[in-house]
Amino acid sequence: MQAYYLRLALKSFGRNPGLTALMVLAIALGIAVCIMTLTVYHAMSGNPIWWKNDRLYTVTMDNWDPNRRFRQDLEGPPIEVTYKDSQFLMRSRTPERKVVMYATNGVISAGAVPPRNASTRVTSADFFAMFEVPFLYGHGWSAAADDPAQPVIVLSREENVKLFGGANSVGRTVRWDDRDFRVVGVLDEWFPRPRYYDLNGGSFGEPDDVYIPFGWGPQLELLNNEETDCWGAEKLDTFRDFMGSECVWLQMWVELPDAASRERMQTLLDGYWAEQHKAGRFQRPRDNRLTNVADWLVHNKVVDTDNRVLVGLAFAFLAVCLINTVGLLLAKFLNGAAVTGVRRALGASRRQIFAQHLVEVGVLAALGALLGLALAALGLVAVHHMYAAAHNFSRGGYQELMHFDSVAVLWALVLACVATLAAGLYPAWRVGRLPPAVYLKSQ
Amino acid sequence: MSYDVRPILSALLRNRTGAVLVALQVAIALAVLVNALYIVVQRAERMSRPTGIDVDNIIVVTSKGFTQRYQPVAAMQEDLAYLRSLPGVIAATVTNSPPLCDGGNNEQLVTQPAAHRTDNYNQIEVDEQGLDALGLHLIAGRNFRHDEITPPLTTTDASRFVPSIIIGRELGERLYPHDNPLGKPVYDSLNQVATIIGIVDPVMGNFPSHDHPGWVYFAPRLAYGFGGPVDYLIRTQPGRRAALTGTIEAHLSKSNPDRVIGSVRPLNFYRDLTYLPDRAMEIYLITVTALLIAITGLGIFALATFNVSTRTKQIGTRRAVGARRRDIVRYFLVENGLITTAGVVAGCALALAAGYWLSLEYSLPRLDLYYLVGGVLVLWGIGQLAAWQPARRAAAVPPSVATRTV
Repeated sequence: MQAYYLRLALKSFGRNPGLTALMVLAIALGIAVCIMTLTVYHAMSGNPIWWKNDRLYTVTMDNWDPNRRFRQDLEGPPIEVTYKDSQFLMRSRTPERKVVMYATNGVISAGAVPPRNASTRVTSADFFAMFEVPFLYGHGWSAAADDPAQPVIVLSREENVKLFGGANSVGRTVRWDDRDFRVVGVLDEWFPRPRYYDLNGGSFGEPDDVYIPFGWGPQLELLNNEETDCWGAEKLDTFRDFMGSECVWLQMWVELPDAASRERMQTLLDGYWAEQHKAGRFQRPRDNRLTNVADWLVHNKVVDTDNRVLVGLAFAFLAVCLINTVGLLLAKFLNGAAVTGVRRALGASRRQIFAQHLVEVGVLAALGALLGLALAALGLVAVHHMYAAAHNFSRGGYQELMHFDSVAVLWALVLACVATLAAGLYPAWRVGRLPPAVYLKSQ
Repeated sequence: MSYDVRPILSALLRNRTGAVLVALQVAIALAVLVNALYIVVQRAERMSRPTGIDVDNIIVVTSKGFTQRYQPVAAMQEDLAYLRSLPGVIAATVTNSPPLCDGGNNEQLVTQPAAHRTDNYNQIEVDEQGLDALGLHLIAGRNFRHDEITPPLTTTDASRFVPSIIIGRELGERLYPHDNPLGKPVYDSLNQVATIIGIVDPVMGNFPSHDHPGWVYFAPRLAYGFGGPVDYLIRTQPGRRAALTGTIEAHLSKSNPDRVIGSVRPLNFYRDLTYLPDRAMEIYLITVTALLIAITGLGIFALATFNVSTRTKQIGTRRAVGARRRDIVRYFLVENGLITTAGVVAGCALALAAGYWLSLEYSLPRLDLYYLVGGVLVLWGIGQLAAWQPARRAAAVPPSVATRTV
């Protein structure tokens, strides 16, 4: 019976090829636009380390100007911490792991490879374990290497390819800013998006090229190349002045395995705050925060307004495409009412008429989904090219956003089928309700 | 006219579904069209704000010293001398961050020592060729002299200010709303004083995305770049930029082994990167809106065509009892007009609701009503256009059809 209905459907398409093409096109475009928008939205709103959402927290404290808050467009304390506050926190044993870090510009070379800029993360040792960074060769450094700083370095996979052609370089020496460093580890491909652990260099920026122990920061007076914010009349002539200042420039993360340790951490922060407050710092209302990754992304408005608007637009577009399809299907089915009348008179039940028309709708849905998928893939390739051309980067977060994964394909198919079948239900039902006598009479 | 509309309306009401569906499409299409257009126009305005900068003829070279031997002042002076000696180069300067790239330095200036500070102003370090290298125009006062350029900041005196500054007109109006700012003092966060010696207009600084990208001032100092890279800005004669880019890159990447040249790019690379989200939004909105309108138009056309083919007999009958072709065409166009009008009325409400939501999301002014009027006219036009061909086909139905098939 199904095969017969299928034949009928194909015949029916053949009767109005233009109309059929229009319906398939409408469904396909609606689906393509939805898939494209949702793919980008999904990539931007994702939490790349969701499984640690109840363990990882960023630490912020409101050390800002008593007369105004940190930023007019952002509620709450500064998004980074001062050097002195970070040092207090790093001494604490409460968190299971803790990281303080920032980014600087370095120049790197090895052997015959000429010096080149390398974005460098100056970080304490727990970074790799805490953010579950995968290693291709070797490993990170121990906390002992942070202070006093030892000349050890971890390379990203890409950087290792550039410097050593991708070979296992653990134990080899690289020259970083005119100083020898020993390679202790090489990362595997690692591209968290958004770059949640440091949102200052653009939420979809690349991870850094190389990583060195935090102690090198103060020792070599390495300046922060991302956001630094200061307030008040502090004389900042030297790096030492800067380290003692109220300027915020460091990202601080802690890993707290359970509610009890989280409670202890909060108590610790509040105690520190009270002590400093008494000494004259922290003159704004107490606002010591431990924020998990999901909340942190929302707080920093990582998913921008444009993306939300585009999702709205995509669904409006899909709605128009589907309403269009409902209208056209209805017209088409009712136009064929005479034939349906004959079939009814010959004994086809309403349910059979309904099923027959639904098969026709199903074929349309399948065609629309396939075409829609192809269009969405084309569209994403176009978006990818546009961003790649403008960025001129070897790789970049925006490019990586345009991955067309199996989840997207699944969405497309489900969306297409649900949407089109929903669109086809009413026309198929309506045509079954027609009284056959009326149509037979006029023959 | 009422004579014509009444029967059309009652016929429509008897067979509502198709009409309602078309009206719904028109309503959504109107809401999308109007709001998308509103956003696109705002993005276009944002991207076309005057910068005062000769964006198309400037090369940006990023340079960073990295060895103990590196002498920043000597190296910068040597590089600048080389760049200025090149034929086709109008001017060259060294600065702390490329213009229009959304990265750079801010400082809080006030006009009274120890006054309360609220605003951030964009500070750009340049030397005496800075204004020429950017192509900016002085509207009052004078440029920096060579002997006024102060040495770069170091890690022992990083809070040193400058004795004189040149400001953008908008910053002048912000600092001294009632006076001519020329010759007046400003104070930095340590209450060090500088005198305003010149005013440029128009000018956009490092931060196109800030609320006030024109709150800019120039400090006469060899760039420091906060220990990181500095940027050379080289303005060339029109048409010479591409050729000079290669020459400069080849020379500078070899001339000093104690530094690396990070990138040599045209300034419009940075501007385009800053505006990439706006550009992408524009393209996306225009494409999707155009498709939406096309789909709606095709839908109206297809439905009208079907309506004509199912009503061949009625049309034939009307023609047989005396209706002219004109009357038949008018029937279908009026019918379409009624449906579109219903859609447009619902669409206006939808457009305003969507506009309200957008104004909250973007904190923008409410939707301009001119857009709504324009959108209504466009959709009416498209509706009539889509119904025109089917209406003509209907009019071509010969009266004999009515008698033949009954």
